[in-house]
Parts: sequence; structure tokens; C-alpha cells
Amino acid sequence: MSRLVVKNLKKKFNSVWALRGLNLILEPGEIFVLLGPNGAGKTTTLKLITGLLRPTEGEILIEGADLRKDPIKAKSHIGYVPDEPFIYNKLTGREFINFVASIYKVSRADYETRLAGLLKTFDIGEWVDELSESYSHGMKQRVIMCQLLLHNPELILIDEPLVGLDPKTSKTVRELFIKLKEEGKTLFVSTHTLSFAREVATKIGIISQGELKFIGDIDELSRISGKKDIEDIYLRLSGEDGDV
Amino acid sequence: MSDFWSILNARARMFYASVRSLSAVRTASFVFVIACFVGGAYYVFFRVFGYLTTVEVIGPALLDRVIEMALFVFFIMLLFSNVITSFSTFYNNRELDFLFSLPVPPTSIYLTKLLENCLYASWATLTIAFPLIVAYGVTTGAPTLFYPLSIVSILVYMVIPAAVASTLIALILRVFPKLGPREVIMISLALILGLTYLYVRINNPNLLKIFETENEQTLLLFAAQLTTVGGIYVPSTWLSNIIKGFNGNTAVTVFNFLLLLFVSASSVSVAFLVAKTFYARSWLSSGEHTSKASKRRSLLWNPQRQTARAIFFKDLLTFVREPTQWVQLSIFLILLVVYVMSLRRTPIFFTFPLWRTVVAFANFAYISFVLATLGVRFIFPTMSLERAGIWAIVSSPLPFRKILLTKYFFSLTTAVIIIEFLLISANLFIKVERGLYLVMPVIGLFVAAALVSINLGFGSRFPHFSEDNPSRIAAGTGGIIAALISITYVAISILLLATPAYNYLSHTFMARPVNYLLVYAGFALFLAVSICAIFIPLRIGITSLERRDY
Ligand SMILES: Nc1ncnc2c1ncn2[C@@H]1O[C@H](COP(=O)(O)OP(=O)(O)OP(=O)(O)O)[C@@H](O)[C@H]1O
Ligand SMILES: [Mg+2]
Repeated sequence: MSRLVVKNLKKKFNSVWALRGLNLILEPGEIFVLLGPNGAGKTTTLKLITGLLRPTEGEILIEGADLRKDPIKAKSHIGYVPDEPFIYNKLTGREFINFVASIYKVSRADYETRLAGLLKTFDIGEWVDELSESYSHGMKQRVIMCQLLLHNPELILIDEPLVGLDPKTSKTVRELFIKLKEEGKTLFVSTHTLSFAREVATKIGIISQGELKFIGDIDELSRISGKKDIEDIYLRLSGEDGDV
Repeated sequence: MSDFWSILNARARMFYASVRSLSAVRTASFVFVIACFVGGAYYVFFRVFGYLTTVEVIGPALLDRVIEMALFVFFIMLLFSNVITSFSTFYNNRELDFLFSLPVPPTSIYLTKLLENCLYASWATLTIAFPLIVAYGVTTGAPTLFYPLSIVSILVYMVIPAAVASTLIALILRVFPKLGPREVIMISLALILGLTYLYVRINNPNLLKIFETENEQTLLLFAAQLTTVGGIYVPSTWLSNIIKGFNGNTAVTVFNFLLLLFVSASSVSVAFLVAKTFYARSWLSSGEHTSKASKRRSLLWNPQRQTARAIFFKDLLTFVREPTQWVQLSIFLILLVVYVMSLRRTPIFFTFPLWRTVVAFANFAYISFVLATLGVRFIFPTMSLERAGIWAIVSSPLPFRKILLTKYFFSLTTAVIIIEFLLISANLFIKVERGLYLVMPVIGLFVAAALVSINLGFGSRFPHFSEDNPSRIAAGTGGIIAALISITYVAISILLLATPAYNYLSHTFMARPVNYLLVYAGFALFLAVSICAIFIPLRIGITSLERRDY
């Protein structure tokens, strides 16, 4: 059974089509990186798969569960990191992590074995017990990553994971992604950082104006575009090289 | 100064744009609610003043005392609400980050915020003050000039508490730069209460004896004998002198108006100077405030086995850590307790049992309306306040039904405690007939269940995920719709229960036969309406949460 199946997914905001028919299948152990210019529909796609947006048309199956017909089952397999890391201002990082862990019913044993390691991986210090209103962008993002890995989802959706992270954390994140892939998780990542895509992606999608223009691994894309460098490949395939 | 005008201009445009984007239904319902409220308040004042003027000999003096008293209370209320909103307007506000990054002097930002805070904190009081003054004018047959001039005076007057509150907070922050919002607000409120008490004690100790009066006659006499209620040093007295002077004493009006104008201008000048010296620095250091308190083990120190408990703990923690929430709730509750305590005197005024029963019903209606208001202010915004974590909740396998039912259960528990405490203690004080002791709390349960459902359901149907100030969320379209529906529900319930109540009264006190058909029909319809009001809004809320884009 495929981990994620997206069939003819469409989304219309008022009168504007943000997504015009997306088809996609992801298997365990894949890292899918979605590239595309601002406003291409990346966030829209991720939000549709997490159930934050309602599709205008189309079907989403997560581990075989239909997101529309059986949302609870489908959502129990996913973890999501939004592009803007919001946390309740008046909760501390730890309280937020515990709140989410309670929603996902993380067992006490798992919680105790995983939390300490995760806090260490993301270099989360004493500040985890301060109110999150005082956190920086990157601090919030680290807390959110920690919360996500605590409930250990099979399908991980992350919108722009590297924005706001310092070089050290961003390296940790890259290594972590590869480790998760090896554990058989599936990652669906949107980003503007091309070097990141080249380094971790097993599959790259290029989206522009709500349409998935190309999909494949880096070699295939290189062949189609006739370019070697990831930046040139991207500019060519996303149709952004017009005036270069 | 020109910066001030340009910020203000940008503000006015934003306001105009948001007014223009309002739908006709929204504008109409808003105008309708305000008109009903102002009209109702006017009617009540007009009747009370009309009654007072008929009291022999002391009537006119009594009327003056009532006006002075009301304006004095308004003044304290304005100070309170300005203090409560000041901290978030001047220091703890996302827009400030943007404003302070602009090349404008802090004083311009300060003046804009002062105006904003003044309007925001005063509008509720104004909706009572205007009908009060108009009713006074009509009762005393004041000349036409009375109306525009007293309205201008109120606007001039409104500035004083705003300036005083912001200066007070600026000074407190200057002395204790490390304090968090909760402490600053507590200190300011304590200072205001303490100073008011001292002032009243020194200036007018008789005023405090008002609670010792034995019956209506002595109360009236006592009130009439009081010299000026607030004393000559408070702005509310000058405002009441302006208003009273219209009945023949123009010099008093002119003098007090000039005095008010002068003090108002001076208070703004002082506030301005304080702001010029401290504001920018205090704003900077207030941003550095981090709460150490949470280092202690809090309710969410561990994950909860039950999701409902986790949701409840999260809501509770965010509630107690947000001063605008719990301060306002405490003030509401204190006022309610004061109200109930004041009913202790009713048996003296209403010796006839029939009247006591009538008072008990009036009290029931009043408490239901209060609960409706509390619901709109505190329960309606709860779903909107999830805004920061909504992505986590929606993408998790937590059904909306569960979130909403959890919130419902805890809000209902609180509402039931409040309404039952008020109903039972009020009925004890009023000494109602035995049957009512039992019936009213049961009815109260249904009313609480329905009001909580209406506010939670419509709060989920019309959430404001872009706003994090709960009072503003409650003042939006959805809040007005929820308020209208709550009030309609309470009104319908009271009408339906009036039939059994009337039958009961006429049977008990006039020995008339009971029309059982009407009694049962009244109760049955009330139950039917309540059950609809409990289930339909929650259903609407859940469906809407499931079907919306986030
Ligand atoms: N809530 C909304 N209402 C109306 N239009 C929207 C909404 N959300 C997104 N859009 C529109 O949908 C399109 C796709 O937006 P989306 O946020 O998915 O882009 P993106 O690829 O994530 O861009 P970025 O790289 O800037 O994050 C844009 O044209 C945007 O204007
Ligand atoms: Mg995006």
C-alpha cells in the first residue's frame, strides 16, 4: 500500500485556481521535495494533505485511508510543520510539546525515552520552560520539530523547514531527514533551498502556477532540462528563466 | 506632530475601509443592537428620573445626587477600563514593533495609541452615559444647547482617565521595569481602588454610610442630604455641574466647562511629557520581560492520558496567564456578588410576598442576561483563541466534536456554578416562596446549557483567526450574532415561563384556579426551545469547523 496517494487534487480560492489537478504517489522511504516560485501552490498542496484546506476536487489517501471519508484515521499517520511556526504564546515550549503529545496519545514510555534525545538533537535548552512568546522564529521551529518527532508519524509534511534555522540546526535537520528516510518514513518537503533539494531528495517536483510541471529524481530532471546545475535545472523547468 | 496626523490618517483610512467592507446585514444588526441598548437605557433612566422628580420636596436634590453618583462611578469605571487596556495598547502589541521601526518620534506613536485606547476603553461607558444625560435633559426640560454642549463635555472628560491611566502605567513601569503585565495591572487597580476609598473617606465619609440605611424613606432622605457626591476635586463633579448649570445657572456651566477643558488639556500634557521621557525606553524593556513563573511544574508538565484534560489544562493556563482575561472576569464576578449582596435589603422594601416573587423573577431575568453577556465575552472567543495552534489541532487525529465538547463541558461547569450561586443566594436573600427555590435552579441549568452552546457554537461558526484580543473577537460580527441569539433565547424563555409564573402567583396570592394546560404548555415550550438552543448551535459549530479552510 502506498503511503500517500493524491488523485487529481484541485483547489480554488474564490475565483482563482491555486492548484489545478495534482497527481502524486509516495512510497515509504522517500523524500519528496517540492520546488516552485512564490505563489506556485506549495503551501496550498501541503495544507490540503494535512486537512487544513478542503479540496475543491480530488482525492487524498494516506496509508489507504481517505482523508475526506475517514479523516481521523488518515490524520493519525501524519505530522505537519507549518511555514510560520505558531505556538500558543502563553504556553511554554514544554507545555506545547506535552499538549500535542496528549492529543496523539503518545505512550508514557515512548515519551520518556524520546523526549530527552529530541531536546538534545535540536539543542533545546532551559528556555523550553519559558513562555513561547519570547522565542525566536528558529526556537519555535525547533520546538515544533521536536513535538512532531515525539509522536513519530509515518508521513511528515514540512513547509520550508530551513527558514530561520541556524547553520548548525539546519545541518542537523538534513541529517535527521536522511535518517528518517532510512527508517522508512516518508517526507514531503517544500523549500526554496535548492542545495537542500539536491542533497536529500529522492524525488523532486517542480510546481508553477498550480501545476506540477515535472517530477522525477535529479538525474531525470537533469536529462529533461539539459542542464547540470540544480539552479539551472530549476530555472529552466519552472519557466522562470525567461528574462535571465 | 505631523507624524501623529499621518499615523492617525492611516488609521482613519483603515477604519473607513473596514466599515465599507461591512455587509448590510452586519451593519444593520450592529446598529440594531446598539439602538436597542441605548433606547432601553434611556427608557430606564427616564422612568427613574421621572419617579425621583415626583418625590416631594427633596426630589430635585435627589435627582442631582443620582447624576453625580452615576458620573462618579463612571469615572472610576473609565479609569479601570483604561488601565486594563493600556498595557496591551501601549506596550504589548504587535503593531508597535512596526510603528517603532518607522522614523517617527515615540511621542507621535504615544498620542495615536492614547486616542485609540481612550476610544476603545470608553465606548461601553459612553453607551450608558449618553442616554443618562439625554434622559436628564428631557426630564428637567433643558434648553437645546444642553445636548451638544454636554456631549462635547463628555468627550473632553473621557480624555482625563485615559491620560491618567497611561501616565500611571508609564510611571509604574519606570520604577519597576521588570514587571509583567499581570503585576502592572494589579498594582494600578489596587492603587486606584485604594485612592478612591481614601478620597471618599476623607472627602465625604457620609457616602460610605449608604449601606447602613434601613428603608426606602431614610435612603432617599439620606441621599438628598449628601453634599456633592464625589467632592469638588473629581472631574465627574465638574461634569455634573456643567449639566446641572443648564437649569438657570449659566455661570456654573461656563466655569466648570473651562475647568474641565483646562484639566483635560493639562492631563494630556503631563501624560505627553511622561511619555516623552519614558515611553520608548519602557516599551523596549517591556519586551524583555520573560515569565519565570512557568519554570515551576505547571499543569501541563507531563502529557495527559486524557485528551480532554490536556485541552482543559491548556485553556486554563492560557486564560490565567492573560491578564485582560482574568482581570475582566474578576471584575464582572465582583460586581455580580455586590449586586446579589445588595438584594439583602429587598425584604425591607418589599414586605408583600407577591412583590418578592416578582423581584425573584426580575432577578432571574437579569441574571440570565448577565450570563448571556459573560458568554459572549468569555465563551464566544474560545475557539478563535486557538489561532496559534490551530494548524496543530486540525492536522492531528483529534475530532472537532471532541474539542468542542470538551470546551462545552468546562464552560458549562463554570456557567452553572455562577448562575446557581447567583440564583440560590439571591433567592435566599429575597426570601421567595419555597417552590421557587427548587424550580429556578433547574430552569437555570437549561439556560446555562443553552447560552454556553449558543456562544461556543457561533464562536466556532464565525471564528476570528486573525485577532488575538478576546474583547475584539467578541465585538465582531459573529459576537453580535451570538449576542442577539442569546438575548432572543433569554427573552423567549422569560415570555414562555411567564405563563406558569403568572398562574402560580395568581393561584398562591389571589386563590385563582390554576390553568394547568397553560402551565404545562409554557414549561414544555421552554424545554423544547432550550433543547434546540443546546443542540443546534453546537451542531452548526462542529459542521462549520469541519468544512472550513484554515
Ligand atoms: N487563503 C487564501 N485565499 C485566497 N488565495 C489564497 C489563499 N491561500 C493561498 N492563496 C493563493 O493561492 C496561490 C498559491 O499560494 P501558496 O501559498 O500555496 O504558494 P507557495 O507556493 O507556498 O508560495 P511561497 O513560496 O511564497 O510560500 C497564491 O496565488 C495565493 O495567492
Ligand atoms: Mg508557502
